[in-house]
Amino acid sequence: MKLSLIWAADYVDVPADTQAFCDRLDLTGTGVEGVEKLGSALEGVVVGHVLTCAEHPDSDHMHVVTVDVGEEEPLQIVCGAPNIAADIKVPVATVGAVLPSADGGFKIKKSKLRGVVSCGMCCSRRELGQGNDHDGIWVLPEDAPTGMAFSEYLGQGDIVLDLEITPNRPDCLSVVGLAREIGAMYQTPVAFPLQADAAKLDGFTAGEPVADSVQLTITDPDRCQRYTARIIEGVQVGPSPDWLAERVMAAGARSINNVVDVTNYIMFLYGQPLHAFDYDTLKGEDGTVKVIVRPAEDGEEFTTLDGVDRILTSDMTVIATPKSAVALAGVMGGLCSEVEDHTTTILLETATFSRAHTSRTSRNLGLISEASMRYERGVDDVPIADISAAAAALMAEVCGGTVRPGIVDLYPIKSEPVSLIFRPQRFNAMMGADIPVDFVVDILERLGCQVKPSAEEGVLDVVAPTFRPDLEREIDLYEEVVRLWGMDRIAPTLPASPERVGMRERSEVVRSIVNDTLRASGMNETMTYSFVEPADVAAMRMDGLDLGMPVELLNPLNADQSVMRQTILPGLLRSVSYNQHHDTKNIQLYEIGTVFSTASGRKKPKERTRVAGVLAGAMREDGWNQHQAPFDFFDGKGIVENLVRELALPKVRFKELSAEEAPQLQPGRAAQMLSGGTPIGWVGEIHPLVAAAFDAEAPIVAFDLDMVALEKASRPARDYVDVPTFPSVEVDQAFVVAEDVTHEKMEQVMTSAGGKLLEEVALFDVYRDDERVGAGKKSMAYRLIYRAPDRTLTTEEVDKAHAKLVKKVQSATGAEVRG
Amino acid sequence: MTIVEELGSLKSSVLADIASAQDTQALEAIRVAVLGKSGTLTAYLRNMGSVPKEQKAEVGRAVNEAREAVEAALEVAKADLSARELAAAIASDAVDVTLPGRAQQIGTRHLINGMIDEISQVFLGLGYSVIEGPEVETDYYNFEALNAPPDHPSRSMQDTFYVKDLSGESSAVKGESDVLLRTQTSGAQVHAMEDRTLPIYVIAPGKVYRRDVADPSHLPQFHQIEGLVVDKGITFGDLKGTLDFACKAIFGPERRTRFRAHYFPFTEPSAEVDVSCAVCNGEGCRMCKGTGWLELLGCGMVDPNVLQMSGIDAEVYSGFAFGLGVERAACLKYNVPDLRMLLEGDMRFLRQF
Repeated sequence: MKLSLIWAADYVDVPADTQAFCDRLDLTGTGVEGVEKLGSALEGVVVGHVLTCAEHPDSDHMHVVTVDVGEEEPLQIVCGAPNIAADIKVPVATVGAVLPSADGGFKIKKSKLRGVVSCGMCCSRRELGQGNDHDGIWVLPEDAPTGMAFSEYLGQGDIVLDLEITPNRPDCLSVVGLAREIGAMYQTPVAFPLQADAAKLDGFTAGEPVADSVQLTITDPDRCQRYTARIIEGVQVGPSPDWLAERVMAAGARSINNVVDVTNYIMFLYGQPLHAFDYDTLKGEDGTVKVIVRPAEDGEEFTTLDGVDRILTSDMTVIATPKSAVALAGVMGGLCSEVEDHTTTILLETATFSRAHTSRTSRNLGLISEASMRYERGVDDVPIADISAAAAALMAEVCGGTVRPGIVDLYPIKSEPVSLIFRPQRFNAMMGADIPVDFVVDILERLGCQVKPSAEEGVLDVVAPTFRPDLEREIDLYEEVVRLWGMDRIAPTLPASPERVGMRERSEVVRSIVNDTLRASGMNETMTYSFVEPADVAAMRMDGLDLGMPVELLNPLNADQSVMRQTILPGLLRSVSYNQHHDTKNIQLYEIGTVFSTASGRKKPKERTRVAGVLAGAMREDGWNQHQAPFDFFDGKGIVENLVRELALPKVRFKELSAEEAPQLQPGRAAQMLSGGTPIGWVGEIHPLVAAAFDAEAPIVAFDLDMVALEKASRPARDYVDVPTFPSVEVDQAFVVAEDVTHEKMEQVMTSAGGKLLEEVALFDVYRDDERVGAGKKSMAYRLIYRAPDRTLTTEEVDKAHAKLVKKVQSATGAEVRG
Repeated sequence: MTIVEELGSLKSSVLADIASAQDTQALEAIRVAVLGKSGTLTAYLRNMGSVPKEQKAEVGRAVNEAREAVEAALEVAKADLSARELAAAIASDAVDVTLPGRAQQIGTRHLINGMIDEISQVFLGLGYSVIEGPEVETDYYNFEALNAPPDHPSRSMQDTFYVKDLSGESSAVKGESDVLLRTQTSGAQVHAMEDRTLPIYVIAPGKVYRRDVADPSHLPQFHQIEGLVVDKGITFGDLKGTLDFACKAIFGPERRTRFRAHYFPFTEPSAEVDVSCAVCNGEGCRMCKGTGWLELLGCGMVDPNVLQMSGIDAEVYSGFAFGLGVERAACLKYNVPDLRMLLEGDMRFLRQF
């Protein structure tokens, strides 16, 4: 909402210190989004006095004029306008001025026109962006001060505030409403103009009663609470007088013609949208007008004033004649009944329409107008007859003509003022303040409420005005009083509850452990988009897996982000590619985030929290004293093993994943992690074809684990084991086994064969050599630690246990002992 | 030469050797050669039996004297030499301490989650629990239960991403559905009131979505931290005090807060909170567009309708709620010039935090 301070000053004292005024507006709930000094766009345009006017020697329509612009020397200007003459006042754009134009600005230069030097331009209204009139030069009144900056002349120093009106305050979408608000802000009187404006109508009334010519029908009162019509006859459509054009332009509208400008002026002043129809386009064969407010038909076609053809639905409401729709109720008029230059009779609509229908219509058509914005927030039906009278009177005054007596007024649902109570004691208790009752009463009255003491001691009875549909409950009044009292005046305290305790959910705790562990493992946390390309799953080669249906957005920003991610990996792989293309080769990224999937018949999708990571390059650059090995499968696995330790996961095993089970991974370098038999996730090297699909350079090690599974498997604490007091015996033992014998198998056999005395099995070397070890074979060297908890083991005991272990390994795996 | 004379010359030659020993190793060799099992002085001690009786006392004294003198000299020399050797060893061990250390890489926390941790910590300390909520919500939890019925104009304040509803239901407004990506963490308020017992002191950090094209100051996905308190006797002053405390804890004790009345459907009275600009300390600069204040969060007293919808008696309980934009807070604290950096995964950016 744009508020001209000069306009507002007609009704209330506006503080001279605009900055302080804006601060106060901001603090009391009316956000100031912009402060515009009117006319500042017209720099370099001044009021000029045409001294001489001679015909151009070399043109039959141009003139050469000299213009006094307040400088020492008059300017010589060549002018092509037909109405240029000596001794008139005109706006002159001097050299260097930039005039508003469709393509951004038109700069005035010194030029020669058919051989005659021209140092500026005499301007029409349209050239200055001040209206549509382009018939000739804008001739200013004789008293316009020569040389005055045109912006100053035009706006007389007006300041226009661009105010953010919150959706609960339809009353503030008007100058009068804002005047009332300012009056309450400063506890200062406000002069309301409506009664006087409406009373002017008597002076313009003539002819037959309007009811003779207009018949009204409302088919669904829920959509239209009140509809009124008046007829103004004998109008002359033309440019608006300056004062009117200035006001509507200050309010942010274009000046169109005097009729439309009057409707806009009244709307900006009172917040009531109006619509002017060309009466003759509505007339039926009998010469009268039948106006029907009805639901549109599904599929009904209608062309709005902006020239756009629209297809309506039955949820939308139209104003129609028996023949066809003539306006889209509450949103925009129709092209067919538009007021045009030849229009002589106006049917003036002043009505209210359903907030919900208007809101949906506006959203469904993508059409927001000054009217729809007001109707969807709520327009007061009570003062409609007066506002209609004020509008009709002004139209007759400005456009000529007379107003037919009376009003056609269908008023099926009348808004009643709401009665509320206000308990000052409870109010102060809830605010934590001590605001005097006198202040409460004064503010509520200034806002338009009626306040009187209730029968109950210490309670106020409050009747809220119909123009404040947001004042429905006691709490709504609290807000009004506290914001105008000043929130800054309320002392800060902390809640005094003895009962509160701060707790983190187990999922939060697990998430913290995962974060800490991954960070300790050198990983860097990142975030990627939750929406991805539908083709990402295929690019991951995971389209054959059962990931559920993707969750589609109905209104994505673009096709590349039209579904919710089913895995975090594509985002991470894009980041790998981004880094590699920005000369960062060592990449360690992880993300904890949500993945989504759905199924047919489901309303809400499934959400799972996953933790995924990618490693490419090495942990860091080689240092002066440290060599960094490039990442491979075991770096990823090591990080997962760190998580296993920190979350105390029980019975963990890593199982090889086949190409079918994990098509996104390179076969042979892919494993599933299970805890207690439950799959937790996977770790592996990304398939080179997947890496290529994301324009990233392989090898990339990755892991992807389910956070809920991790949380469920995790144990809050690890078990205590006695610290050994007796010495251990270490035996190093190498076995030569076939390639397909896994470490897991060896470990299982040794653990079961070693019995109670075997404390630890640690692999310390894997060695392959076709000659020394044999083709298709590998040597696996283990360090075995034997210990008894209660005594020092003898050599014989260890030898015996170890011999048994070796024998078992040999028989179970076909291993040979390597000397 | 008498035995005593022999001893005298042995003593002086050994003392000379000791004096000229270069290191503790040489010293040890001297000790072994003189005092060891077959040492020269030891031999005299061992041969005392063959010394004539009348000379025994004299020779004995001379041997002991020689031994004491040698031992004393050895000790002194050893102390001296070991000190010198240690000093030499230390000197040769010296390194250029400005060379980089041998460290494991420590990973980094994402700036936004770091901010969430920091803020959560403040509220945990104030006795709040941390809760989570779903990112895909039904219209009910995102709007309706928050006092914004289907045609409420406040809905157009937030451009919502709608998700295809596979249950077969359809919405009154074209292109919308009852299922959506939450536009605010406020839905967590409703879940908390439905699921938890009173009193409620919770914060709910999480990701939210709005249909804004990514540019330096907008992202279609960002983070909020929702706070909710429902208890007996909660006042607007408590809301002010809590947020003022939190802002100072997060941004520094010298920062001030300002409450501007505002409108949100689910709180009343509602306010927006500004924090004083750190760049100019409230004087007005480019960062704060000359106002001295930076907008940080929205808040208010929980609307009684919202309490009632969750079955809480608004005459007995009152509460406050707030929602803070984490990216905004992070930008205020770290001056990140382009929000899109938060989602690129650029290692050079991430490793800074």
